[in-house]
Amino acid sequence: MTCEEAKTRMTDYWSRTLGEAGETEFNAHLASCEACQSEVSRVGALWQGLDLLPLEEPSGKVRDRFYEMLGAYRQGLAAAEAPPAKRWWSMPAWQLAAAAGLVAVGLGIGYGVRGNGQPPAEVSQLREEVANMRQLVALSLMQQQSASDRLRGVSWAYRAEPSDREVLGALVSAVNHDANVNVRLAAVDALRRFSASPETSRAALQSLSKQTTPIVQAALIDLLVELKDPEAAPELRRLSGSETANEGVRQKAQWALERLQ
Amino acid sequence: MNRFLMGGMLAVLGALQAPAQNQAQNQNPAQITVAFSNPSQPRKLVVKTMMHRVSIKGYDGKDAIVESSAISERRRRERSIPPGMHPLNVGGGGIEVTEANNVVTVSAESMFGGGDIQIQVPVETSVMVNTLNNGVNVENISGEIDVESVNGPVSITNSSGAVLATSVNGKVTVALDKVAPGKAMSFSTMNGTIDVTLPADIKANLKMKVDNGDVYTDFDVKVTNDTFDTAQSNTGRGVRIRGNKTTYGTINGGGPEMQFTTFNGRILIHKK
Repeated sequence: MTCEEAKTRMTDYWSRTLGEAGETEFNAHLASCEACQSEVSRVGALWQGLDLLPLEEPSGKVRDRFYEMLGAYRQGLAAAEAPPAKRWWSMPAWQLAAAAGLVAVGLGIGYGVRGNGQPPAEVSQLREEVANMRQLVALSLMQQQSASDRLRGVSWAYRAEPSDREVLGALVSAVNHDANVNVRLAAVDALRRFSASPETSRAALQSLSKQTTPIVQAALIDLLVELKDPEAAPELRRLSGSETANEGVRQKAQWALERLQ
Repeated sequence: MNRFLMGGMLAVLGALQAPAQNQAQNQNPAQITVAFSNPSQPRKLVVKTMMHRVSIKGYDGKDAIVESSAISERRRRERSIPPGMHPLNVGGGGIEVTEANNVVTVSAESMFGGGDIQIQVPVETSVMVNTLNNGVNVENISGEIDVESVNGPVSITNSSGAVLATSVNGKVTVALDKVAPGKAMSFSTMNGTIDVTLPADIKANLKMKVDNGDVYTDFDVKVTNDTFDTAQSNTGRGVRIRGNKTTYGTINGGGPEMQFTTFNGRILIHKK
Protein backbone atom coordinates (compact mmCIF):
# COMPACT_ATOMS: atom_id res chain seq x y z
CA MET A 1 0.00 0.00 0.00
CA THR A 2 1.32 3.41 -0.95
CA CYS A 3 0.87 6.55 1.16
CA GLU A 4 -1.70 7.84 -1.36
CA GLU A 5 -3.79 4.70 -0.99
CA ALA A 6 -3.49 4.86 2.77
CA LYS A 7 -4.77 8.45 2.86
CA THR A 8 -7.92 7.55 0.93
CA ARG A 9 -8.63 4.81 3.44
CA MET A 10 -8.07 6.76 6.61
CA THR A 11 -11.67 7.77 7.16
CA ASP A 12 -12.76 4.17 6.68
CA TYR A 13 -10.15 3.14 9.20
CA TRP A 14 -11.42 5.60 11.79
CA SER A 15 -15.00 4.63 11.27
CA ARG A 16 -13.96 0.98 11.32
CA THR A 17 -15.41 0.03 7.98
CA LEU A 18 -12.25 -1.29 6.32
CA GLY A 19 -12.94 -4.89 7.14
CA GLU A 20 -10.49 -7.27 8.79
CA ALA A 21 -8.21 -7.78 5.80
CA GLY A 22 -8.22 -4.08 4.98
CA GLU A 23 -7.38 -3.15 8.53
CA THR A 24 -4.47 -5.59 8.67
CA GLU A 25 -3.08 -4.19 5.44
CA PHE A 26 -3.56 -0.62 6.67
CA ASN A 27 -1.83 -1.32 9.96
CA ALA A 28 1.03 -2.92 8.07
CA HIS A 29 1.49 0.28 6.08
CA LEU A 30 1.31 2.45 9.22
CA ALA A 31 4.09 0.31 10.79
CA SER A 32 6.30 0.96 7.79
CA CYS A 33 5.46 4.68 7.28
CA GLU A 34 6.08 7.23 9.97
CA ALA A 35 4.34 10.13 8.17
CA CYS A 36 1.11 8.22 7.81
CA GLN A 37 1.32 7.01 11.36
CA SER A 38 1.59 10.55 12.79
CA GLU A 39 -1.28 11.78 10.61
CA VAL A 40 -3.54 8.95 11.70
CA SER A 41 -2.89 9.60 15.36
CA ARG A 42 -3.30 13.40 14.98
CA VAL A 43 -6.53 13.45 12.98
CA GLY A 44 -7.75 10.23 14.59
CA ALA A 45 -7.84 11.96 17.99
CA LEU A 46 -10.12 14.64 16.52
CA TRP A 47 -12.27 11.96 14.93
CA GLN A 48 -12.71 10.14 18.21
CA GLY A 49 -13.43 13.45 19.90
CA LEU A 50 -16.32 14.01 17.51
CA ASP A 51 -17.61 10.60 18.41
CA LEU A 52 -17.76 11.54 22.06
CA LEU A 53 -20.12 14.48 21.44
CA PRO A 54 -23.57 13.59 22.70
CA LEU A 55 -26.11 12.94 19.95
CA GLU A 56 -28.83 15.60 19.91
CA GLU A 57 -32.19 14.01 20.60
CA PRO A 58 -35.22 15.81 19.07
CA SER A 59 -37.41 17.12 21.85
CA GLY A 60 -41.20 16.70 21.83
CA LYS A 61 -41.56 20.33 20.78
CA VAL A 62 -39.93 19.64 17.45
CA ARG A 63 -42.79 17.39 16.51
CA ASP A 64 -45.37 20.04 17.44
CA ARG A 65 -43.49 22.73 15.59
CA PHE A 66 -43.28 20.56 12.49
CA TYR A 67 -47.04 19.99 12.37
CA GLU A 68 -47.68 23.66 13.02
CA MET A 69 -45.48 24.53 10.08
CA LEU A 70 -47.12 21.94 7.86
CA GLY A 71 -50.53 23.33 8.74
CA ALA A 72 -49.46 26.86 7.92
CA TYR A 73 -47.93 25.69 4.66
CA ARG A 74 -51.14 23.93 3.69
CA GLN A 75 -53.13 27.04 4.49
CA GLY A 76 -50.81 29.17 2.42
CA LEU A 77 -51.07 26.68 -0.40
CA ALA A 78 -54.85 26.74 -0.30
CA ALA A 79 -54.84 30.53 -0.36
CA ALA A 80 -52.44 30.57 -3.27
CA GLU A 81 -54.50 28.03 -5.19
CA ALA A 82 -57.71 30.00 -4.84
CA PRO A 83 -58.04 32.12 -8.00
CA PRO A 84 -57.72 35.86 -7.42
CA ALA A 85 -61.06 37.55 -6.94
CA LYS A 86 -60.76 39.68 -10.06
CA ARG A 87 -60.30 36.72 -12.32
CA TRP A 88 -63.33 35.04 -10.83
CA TRP A 89 -65.52 38.09 -11.47
CA SER A 90 -64.44 38.42 -15.02
CA MET A 91 -65.38 34.86 -16.01
CA PRO A 92 -68.79 35.20 -17.63
CA ALA A 93 -69.47 31.46 -17.40
CA TRP A 94 -69.09 31.55 -13.62
CA GLN A 95 -71.22 34.59 -13.32
CA LEU A 96 -73.93 33.16 -15.50
CA ALA A 97 -73.91 29.90 -13.61
CA ALA A 98 -73.96 31.64 -10.25
CA ALA A 99 -76.69 34.03 -11.30
CA ALA A 100 -78.78 31.26 -12.82
CA GLY A 101 -78.31 29.20 -9.67
CA LEU A 102 -79.40 32.06 -7.46
CA VAL A 103 -82.39 32.75 -9.66
CA ALA A 104 -83.39 29.10 -9.40
CA VAL A 105 -82.96 29.08 -5.63
CA GLY A 106 -84.89 32.33 -5.41
CA LEU A 107 -87.73 30.98 -7.48
CA GLY A 108 -87.84 27.77 -5.49
CA ILE A 109 -88.04 29.59 -2.18
CA GLY A 110 -90.49 32.07 -3.64
CA TYR A 111 -92.87 29.31 -4.66
CA GLY A 112 -92.38 27.52 -1.36
CA VAL A 113 -93.46 30.47 0.74
CA ARG A 114 -96.13 31.76 -1.60
CA GLY A 115 -99.47 32.38 0.05
CA ASN A 116 -98.02 32.65 3.53
CA GLY A 117 -98.54 36.38 3.79
CA GLN A 118 -95.48 38.66 3.89
CA PRO A 119 -92.32 37.23 2.35
CA PRO A 120 -89.76 36.51 5.02
CA ALA A 121 -86.63 38.61 5.27
CA GLU A 122 -84.53 35.84 3.71
CA VAL A 123 -86.48 36.07 0.49
CA SER A 124 -86.04 39.80 0.10
CA GLN A 125 -82.38 39.39 0.91
CA LEU A 126 -82.14 36.70 -1.72
CA ARG A 127 -83.88 38.93 -4.22
CA GLU A 128 -81.34 41.60 -3.56
CA GLU A 129 -78.53 39.14 -4.10
CA VAL A 130 -80.05 38.02 -7.38
CA ALA A 131 -80.30 41.64 -8.47
CA ASN A 132 -76.66 42.21 -7.54
CA MET A 133 -75.64 39.13 -9.46
CA ARG A 134 -77.50 40.25 -12.56
CA GLN A 135 -75.89 43.65 -12.30
CA LEU A 136 -72.50 42.01 -12.05
CA VAL A 137 -73.11 39.81 -15.07
CA ALA A 138 -74.37 42.70 -17.17
CA LEU A 139 -71.52 45.01 -16.20
CA SER A 140 -68.74 42.52 -16.69
CA LEU A 141 -70.03 41.18 -19.99
CA MET A 142 -70.37 44.70 -21.34
CA GLN A 143 -66.61 45.11 -20.89
CA GLN A 144 -65.57 42.07 -22.87
CA GLN A 145 -63.46 42.28 -25.99
CA SER A 146 -65.79 40.10 -27.98
CA ALA A 147 -68.67 42.08 -29.45
CA SER A 148 -70.93 39.04 -29.10
CA ASP A 149 -70.19 38.93 -25.36
CA ARG A 150 -70.91 42.63 -25.03
CA LEU A 151 -74.19 42.05 -26.82
CA ARG A 152 -74.98 39.36 -24.26
CA GLY A 153 -74.13 41.81 -21.48
CA VAL A 154 -76.61 44.29 -22.92
CA SER A 155 -79.35 41.67 -22.94
CA TRP A 156 -78.58 40.92 -19.28
CA ALA A 157 -79.24 44.60 -18.59
CA TYR A 158 -82.93 43.91 -19.26
CA ARG A 159 -82.94 41.81 -16.11
CA ALA A 160 -81.39 44.48 -13.91
CA GLU A 161 -83.49 46.49 -11.50
CA PRO A 162 -85.01 49.55 -13.23
CA SER A 163 -83.38 51.64 -10.51
CA ASP A 164 -79.89 50.24 -11.08
CA ARG A 165 -77.82 53.30 -11.89
CA GLU A 166 -74.63 51.37 -12.53
CA VAL A 167 -76.20 49.28 -15.27
CA LEU A 168 -77.85 52.40 -16.68
CA GLY A 169 -74.46 54.13 -16.73
CA ALA A 170 -72.85 51.18 -18.49
CA LEU A 171 -75.62 51.14 -21.09
CA VAL A 172 -75.30 54.86 -21.76
CA SER A 173 -71.56 54.40 -22.14
CA ALA A 174 -72.16 51.52 -24.58
CA VAL A 175 -74.62 53.62 -26.60
CA ASN A 176 -72.06 56.41 -26.88
CA HIS A 177 -68.79 54.59 -27.15
CA ASP A 178 -69.10 50.94 -28.15
CA ALA A 179 -67.17 50.31 -31.35
CA ASN A 180 -69.81 47.96 -32.70
CA VAL A 181 -73.00 49.28 -34.31
CA ASN A 182 -75.03 46.24 -33.30
CA VAL A 183 -73.99 46.56 -29.66
CA ARG A 184 -74.89 50.27 -29.65
CA LEU A 185 -78.24 49.43 -31.20
CA ALA A 186 -79.03 46.80 -28.58
CA ALA A 187 -77.94 49.15 -25.80
CA VAL A 188 -80.37 51.85 -27.00
CA ASP A 189 -83.14 49.29 -26.86
CA ALA A 190 -82.14 48.16 -23.38
CA LEU A 191 -82.30 51.77 -22.13
CA ARG A 192 -86.09 51.40 -22.26
CA ARG A 193 -85.80 49.25 -19.17
CA PHE A 194 -84.75 52.44 -17.36
CA SER A 195 -87.46 54.69 -18.75
CA ALA A 196 -88.58 55.73 -15.26
CA SER A 197 -85.27 57.46 -14.63
CA PRO A 198 -85.02 61.06 -15.89
CA GLU A 199 -81.38 60.42 -16.77
CA THR A 200 -82.38 57.99 -19.48
CA SER A 201 -84.11 60.59 -21.58
CA ARG A 202 -81.30 63.09 -21.08
CA ALA A 203 -78.68 60.53 -22.08
CA ALA A 204 -80.65 59.47 -25.16
CA LEU A 205 -80.99 63.06 -26.29
CA GLN A 206 -77.30 63.76 -25.76
CA SER A 207 -76.36 60.64 -27.61
CA LEU A 208 -78.62 61.47 -30.55
CA SER A 209 -76.62 64.63 -31.18
CA LYS A 210 -73.40 62.59 -31.30
CA GLN A 211 -74.40 59.44 -33.19
CA THR A 212 -73.65 59.23 -36.88
CA THR A 213 -74.85 55.68 -37.62
CA PRO A 214 -78.37 55.97 -39.12
CA ILE A 215 -79.84 52.80 -37.62
CA VAL A 216 -78.70 53.84 -34.11
CA GLN A 217 -80.04 57.36 -34.65
CA ALA A 218 -83.39 55.88 -35.67
CA ALA A 219 -83.47 53.71 -32.54
CA LEU A 220 -82.71 56.71 -30.33
CA ILE A 221 -85.52 58.71 -31.94
CA ASP A 222 -87.93 55.82 -31.23
CA LEU A 223 -86.81 55.83 -27.61
CA LEU A 224 -87.27 59.59 -27.20
CA VAL A 225 -90.79 59.36 -28.63
CA GLU A 226 -91.54 56.56 -26.22
CA LEU A 227 -90.25 58.62 -23.31
CA LYS A 228 -92.33 61.58 -24.51
CA ASP A 229 -89.47 63.94 -23.89
CA PRO A 230 -90.52 67.45 -25.03
CA GLU A 231 -86.90 68.60 -24.78
CA ALA A 232 -86.08 66.39 -27.74
CA ALA A 233 -87.92 68.70 -30.15
CA PRO A 234 -85.04 71.08 -31.03
CA GLU A 235 -82.65 68.22 -31.80
CA LEU A 236 -85.31 66.40 -33.81
CA ARG A 237 -86.00 69.57 -35.76
CA ARG A 238 -82.31 69.96 -36.50
CA LEU A 239 -82.06 66.35 -37.68
CA SER A 240 -85.17 66.50 -39.84
CA GLY A 241 -83.68 69.45 -41.70
CA SER A 242 -80.09 68.24 -41.76
CA GLU A 243 -78.61 67.68 -45.19
CA THR A 244 -75.95 65.33 -43.91
CA ALA A 245 -78.39 63.07 -42.09
CA ASN A 246 -79.57 59.85 -43.68
CA GLU A 247 -82.88 60.13 -45.55
CA GLY A 248 -84.55 57.57 -43.27
CA VAL A 249 -83.31 59.39 -40.16
CA ARG A 250 -84.76 62.68 -41.46
CA GLN A 251 -88.13 61.01 -42.06
CA LYS A 252 -88.05 59.46 -38.65
CA ALA A 253 -87.17 62.76 -36.95
CA GLN A 254 -90.06 64.46 -38.75
CA TRP A 255 -92.42 61.69 -37.70
CA ALA A 256 -91.17 61.95 -34.09
CA LEU A 257 -91.74 65.70 -34.01
CA GLU A 258 -95.39 65.18 -34.94
CA ARG A 259 -95.73 62.55 -32.24
CA LEU A 260 -94.26 64.73 -29.54
CA GLN A 261 -96.51 67.70 -30.25
CA MET B 1 -44.25 42.04 -35.12
CA ASN B 2 -44.06 41.07 -38.71
CA ARG B 3 -44.76 43.91 -41.02
CA PHE B 4 -45.25 43.71 -44.74
CA LEU B 5 -45.67 46.98 -46.52
CA MET B 6 -46.73 46.93 -50.10
CA GLY B 7 -45.43 49.66 -52.33
CA GLY B 8 -42.32 51.76 -52.28
CA MET B 9 -41.84 50.98 -48.65
CA LEU B 10 -40.82 47.40 -49.34
CA ALA B 11 -37.28 48.72 -49.19
CA VAL B 12 -37.57 49.44 -45.48
CA LEU B 13 -38.29 45.85 -44.60
CA GLY B 14 -35.80 44.76 -41.98
CA ALA B 15 -33.88 41.53 -41.69
CA LEU B 16 -36.64 40.05 -39.53
CA GLN B 17 -39.13 40.21 -42.36
CA ALA B 18 -36.81 39.01 -45.06
CA PRO B 19 -37.90 35.32 -45.02
CA ALA B 20 -41.56 36.22 -45.35
CA GLN B 21 -40.79 38.64 -48.14
CA ASN B 22 -38.94 35.97 -50.05
CA GLN B 23 -41.82 33.65 -49.49
CA ALA B 24 -44.21 36.25 -50.89
CA GLN B 25 -42.09 36.82 -53.96
CA ASN B 26 -41.98 33.15 -54.77
CA GLN B 27 -45.72 33.08 -55.07
CA ASN B 28 -48.33 34.76 -57.18
CA PRO B 29 -47.24 38.38 -57.58
CA ALA B 30 -50.65 39.55 -56.39
CA GLN B 31 -50.49 37.49 -53.21
CA ILE B 32 -49.03 37.83 -49.73
CA THR B 33 -48.85 35.03 -47.19
CA VAL B 34 -48.62 35.95 -43.53
CA ALA B 35 -48.18 33.48 -40.70
CA PHE B 36 -50.00 33.87 -37.41
CA SER B 37 -47.31 34.21 -34.75
CA ASN B 38 -48.95 31.71 -32.42
CA PRO B 39 -51.02 29.16 -34.37
CA SER B 40 -52.23 27.37 -31.24
CA GLN B 41 -53.82 30.52 -29.81
CA PRO B 42 -57.07 32.18 -30.98
CA ARG B 43 -56.52 33.95 -34.30
CA LYS B 44 -58.08 37.13 -35.54
CA LEU B 45 -58.29 38.80 -38.92
CA VAL B 46 -59.07 42.51 -39.10
CA VAL B 47 -59.85 44.12 -42.46
CA LYS B 48 -60.34 47.86 -42.92
CA THR B 49 -60.99 49.21 -46.35
CA MET B 50 -62.72 52.10 -48.06
CA MET B 51 -63.20 51.00 -51.65
CA HIS B 52 -62.47 47.30 -51.99
CA ARG B 53 -64.82 44.38 -52.10
CA VAL B 54 -63.71 41.93 -49.41
CA SER B 55 -64.02 38.15 -49.62
CA ILE B 56 -62.88 36.01 -46.72
CA LYS B 57 -62.83 32.25 -46.86
CA GLY B 58 -61.90 29.71 -44.23
CA TYR B 59 -59.49 27.06 -45.53
CA ASP B 60 -57.60 24.08 -44.27
CA GLY B 61 -54.29 25.79 -43.61
CA LYS B 62 -52.56 27.85 -40.98
CA ASP B 63 -51.58 31.15 -42.63
CA ALA B 64 -53.45 34.18 -43.83
CA ILE B 65 -53.23 34.45 -47.62
CA VAL B 66 -54.11 37.88 -48.97
CA GLU B 67 -54.71 38.29 -52.68
CA SER B 68 -55.59 41.48 -54.48
CA SER B 69 -55.10 43.21 -57.78
CA ALA B 70 -54.03 46.16 -55.66
CA ILE B 71 -50.93 44.18 -54.71
CA SER B 72 -49.85 43.47 -58.29
CA GLU B 73 -50.76 47.02 -59.28
CA ARG B 74 -48.48 48.21 -56.55
CA ARG B 75 -45.65 45.97 -57.68
CA ARG B 76 -46.14 47.08 -61.30
CA ARG B 77 -45.69 50.66 -60.16
CA GLU B 78 -42.53 49.74 -58.32
CA ARG B 79 -41.07 48.26 -61.48
CA SER B 80 -41.84 51.47 -63.37
CA ILE B 81 -39.64 53.59 -61.15
CA PRO B 82 -37.44 55.63 -63.53
CA PRO B 83 -33.76 54.52 -63.52
CA GLY B 84 -31.67 56.24 -60.92
CA MET B 85 -34.68 57.55 -59.04
CA HIS B 86 -36.51 56.40 -55.95
CA PRO B 87 -40.12 57.03 -54.97
CA LEU B 88 -40.74 59.79 -52.48
CA ASN B 89 -44.46 59.33 -52.36
CA VAL B 90 -46.50 56.78 -54.23
CA GLY B 91 -50.21 57.47 -54.67
CA GLY B 92 -53.11 55.55 -53.22
CA GLY B 93 -54.24 52.04 -53.91
CA GLY B 94 -51.83 50.33 -51.58
CA ILE B 95 -52.56 47.57 -49.17
CA GLU B 96 -50.89 47.13 -45.83
CA VAL B 97 -50.78 43.71 -44.21
CA THR B 98 -49.46 43.42 -40.67
CA GLU B 99 -49.38 40.75 -38.01
CA ALA B 100 -49.15 41.36 -34.26
CA ASN B 101 -50.20 39.18 -31.32
CA ASN B 102 -51.95 36.70 -33.59
CA VAL B 103 -54.01 39.43 -35.24
CA VAL B 104 -53.52 39.86 -38.98
CA THR B 105 -54.61 43.31 -40.11
CA VAL B 106 -55.28 44.10 -43.75
CA SER B 107 -55.87 47.76 -44.39
CA ALA B 108 -56.51 49.62 -47.60
CA GLU B 109 -57.79 52.94 -46.39
CA SER B 110 -57.16 55.02 -49.47
CA MET B 111 -60.17 56.60 -51.14
CA PHE B 112 -58.76 55.60 -54.54
CA GLY B 113 -58.30 52.29 -56.20
CA GLY B 114 -60.76 49.50 -55.66
CA GLY B 115 -61.23 45.96 -56.86
CA ASP B 116 -61.23 42.85 -54.76
CA ILE B 117 -59.33 41.73 -51.71
CA GLN B 118 -59.49 37.99 -51.23
CA ILE B 119 -58.29 36.55 -47.98
CA GLN B 120 -57.98 32.96 -46.87
CA VAL B 121 -57.58 32.18 -43.19
CA PRO B 122 -57.90 29.04 -41.08
CA VAL B 123 -61.56 28.17 -40.46
CA GLU B 124 -61.21 28.83 -36.71
CA THR B 125 -60.39 32.50 -37.00
CA SER B 126 -62.32 35.48 -35.68
CA VAL B 127 -63.04 37.96 -38.40
CA MET B 128 -63.68 41.68 -38.17
CA VAL B 129 -64.36 43.67 -41.34
CA ASN B 130 -65.03 47.36 -41.76
CA THR B 131 -65.73 48.65 -45.24
CA LEU B 132 -67.21 51.77 -46.75
CA ASN B 133 -68.21 51.47 -50.39
CA ASN B 134 -68.25 47.81 -51.24
CA GLY B 135 -69.59 44.47 -50.20
CA VAL B 136 -68.25 41.85 -47.84
CA ASN B 137 -68.40 38.08 -48.28
CA VAL B 138 -67.45 35.71 -45.50
CA GLU B 139 -67.49 31.97 -46.05
CA ASN B 140 -66.69 28.91 -43.95
CA ILE B 141 -65.57 30.64 -40.76
CA SER B 142 -66.23 29.26 -37.28
CA GLY B 143 -64.89 32.16 -35.21
CA GLU B 144 -66.77 35.28 -34.23
CA ILE B 145 -67.76 37.31 -37.31
CA ASP B 146 -68.17 41.04 -36.96
CA VAL B 147 -68.86 42.86 -40.23
CA GLU B 148 -69.75 46.47 -40.91
CA SER B 149 -70.32 47.98 -44.31
CA VAL B 150 -71.79 51.35 -45.20
CA ASN B 151 -72.80 51.10 -48.83
CA GLY B 152 -72.32 47.46 -49.65
CA PRO B 153 -74.15 44.21 -49.05
CA VAL B 154 -72.92 41.85 -46.35
CA SER B 155 -73.04 38.11 -46.95
CA ILE B 156 -71.96 35.45 -44.49
CA THR B 157 -72.40 31.83 -45.57
CA ASN B 158 -71.47 28.30 -44.44
CA SER B 159 -70.30 29.66 -41.15
CA SER B 160 -70.87 28.70 -37.54
CA GLY B 161 -69.57 31.50 -35.36
CA ALA B 162 -71.41 34.25 -33.55
CA VAL B 163 -72.35 36.90 -36.09
CA LEU B 164 -72.76 40.66 -35.77
CA ALA B 165 -73.44 42.17 -39.18
CA THR B 166 -74.53 45.64 -40.15
CA SER B 167 -74.86 47.77 -43.23
CA VAL B 168 -76.43 51.12 -43.97
CA ASN B 169 -77.48 50.74 -47.57
CA GLY B 170 -76.96 47.06 -48.21
CA LYS B 171 -78.70 43.77 -47.77
CA VAL B 172 -77.52 41.51 -44.95
CA THR B 173 -77.51 37.80 -45.78
CA VAL B 174 -76.39 35.26 -43.22
CA ALA B 175 -76.53 31.45 -43.43
CA LEU B 176 -75.24 29.52 -40.44
CA ASP B 177 -74.61 25.76 -40.53
CA LYS B 178 -74.51 25.56 -36.79
CA VAL B 179 -74.34 28.01 -33.97
CA ALA B 180 -71.94 28.20 -31.06
CA PRO B 181 -74.15 27.78 -27.98
CA GLY B 182 -74.76 30.80 -25.80
CA LYS B 183 -73.67 33.36 -28.38
CA ALA B 184 -75.71 36.52 -28.89
CA MET B 185 -76.06 37.79 -32.45
CA SER B 186 -77.31 40.87 -34.20
CA PHE B 187 -78.12 41.77 -37.80
CA SER B 188 -79.01 45.28 -38.83
CA THR B 189 -79.34 47.56 -41.82
CA MET B 190 -80.98 50.88 -42.54
CA ASN B 191 -82.04 50.22 -46.12
CA GLY B 192 -82.14 46.59 -47.04
CA THR B 193 -83.48 43.15 -46.38
CA ILE B 194 -82.14 41.02 -43.58
CA ASP B 195 -82.10 37.41 -44.71
CA VAL B 196 -80.92 34.95 -42.07
CA THR B 197 -80.85 31.15 -42.23
CA LEU B 198 -80.43 29.35 -38.91
CA PRO B 199 -80.11 25.67 -37.94
CA ALA B 200 -83.53 24.08 -37.29
CA ASP B 201 -82.63 23.18 -33.69
CA ILE B 202 -81.40 26.62 -32.65
CA LYS B 203 -82.59 27.92 -29.29
CA ALA B 204 -82.93 31.67 -29.35
CA ASN B 205 -84.82 34.70 -28.16
CA LEU B 206 -85.70 36.83 -31.14
CA LYS B 207 -86.06 40.57 -31.19
CA MET B 208 -87.22 41.80 -34.57
CA LYS B 209 -87.70 45.44 -35.38
CA VAL B 210 -88.73 46.80 -38.74
CA ASP B 211 -90.07 50.25 -39.59
CA ASN B 212 -91.18 49.88 -43.19
CA GLY B 213 -91.51 46.21 -43.87
CA ASP B 214 -92.51 42.87 -42.41
CA VAL B 215 -91.04 39.83 -40.76
CA TYR B 216 -91.34 36.37 -42.35
CA THR B 217 -90.17 33.03 -41.05
CA ASP B 218 -90.76 29.30 -41.46
CA PHE B 219 -89.63 28.67 -37.87
CA ASP B 220 -92.22 27.92 -35.24
CA VAL B 221 -91.75 31.21 -33.39
CA LYS B 222 -93.54 31.66 -30.14
CA VAL B 223 -94.29 35.35 -29.98
CA THR B 224 -93.80 36.56 -26.43
CA ASN B 225 -94.50 39.74 -24.58
CA ASP B 226 -91.86 42.33 -24.42
CA THR B 227 -90.62 41.92 -20.84
CA PHE B 228 -90.26 45.68 -20.81
CA ASP B 229 -94.02 46.15 -21.23
CA THR B 230 -94.72 44.60 -17.86
CA ALA B 231 -91.95 46.58 -16.25
CA GLN B 232 -93.35 49.74 -17.66
CA SER B 233 -96.92 49.09 -16.64
CA ASN B 234 -95.57 48.59 -13.12
CA THR B 235 -94.16 52.09 -13.15
CA GLY B 236 -97.57 53.43 -14.13
CA ARG B 237 -96.38 55.24 -17.20
CA GLY B 238 -99.39 54.21 -19.21
CA VAL B 239 -99.57 52.77 -22.69
CA ARG B 240 -96.43 52.84 -24.72
CA ILE B 241 -96.57 54.44 -28.13
CA ARG B 242 -94.54 52.86 -30.83
CA GLY B 243 -94.02 54.12 -34.33
CA ASN B 244 -92.62 50.82 -35.46
CA LYS B 245 -93.26 47.16 -35.08
CA THR B 246 -91.06 45.22 -32.72
CA THR B 247 -91.76 41.55 -32.35
CA TYR B 248 -90.32 39.43 -29.58
CA GLY B 249 -90.37 35.68 -29.77
CA THR B 250 -88.61 32.45 -28.92
CA ILE B 251 -87.52 29.50 -31.02
CA ASN B 252 -87.22 26.04 -29.45
CA GLY B 253 -87.88 27.35 -25.96
CA GLY B 254 -85.59 30.36 -26.14
CA GLY B 255 -81.89 31.04 -25.67
CA PRO B 256 -79.39 33.78 -26.37
CA GLU B 257 -80.70 36.96 -27.88
CA MET B 258 -80.82 37.45 -31.65
CA GLN B 259 -81.55 40.94 -32.77
CA PHE B 260 -82.86 41.84 -36.26
CA THR B 261 -83.23 45.51 -37.12
CA THR B 262 -84.07 47.19 -40.40
CA PHE B 263 -85.65 50.52 -41.25
CA ASN B 264 -86.60 49.97 -44.90
CA GLY B 265 -86.71 46.31 -45.71
CA ARG B 266 -87.95 42.90 -44.81
CA ILE B 267 -86.73 40.46 -42.22
CA LEU B 268 -86.57 36.85 -43.40
CA ILE B 269 -85.66 34.12 -40.95
CA HIS B 270 -85.26 30.74 -42.66
CA LYS B 271 -85.01 27.32 -41.11
CA LYS B 272 -82.10 25.36 -42.56
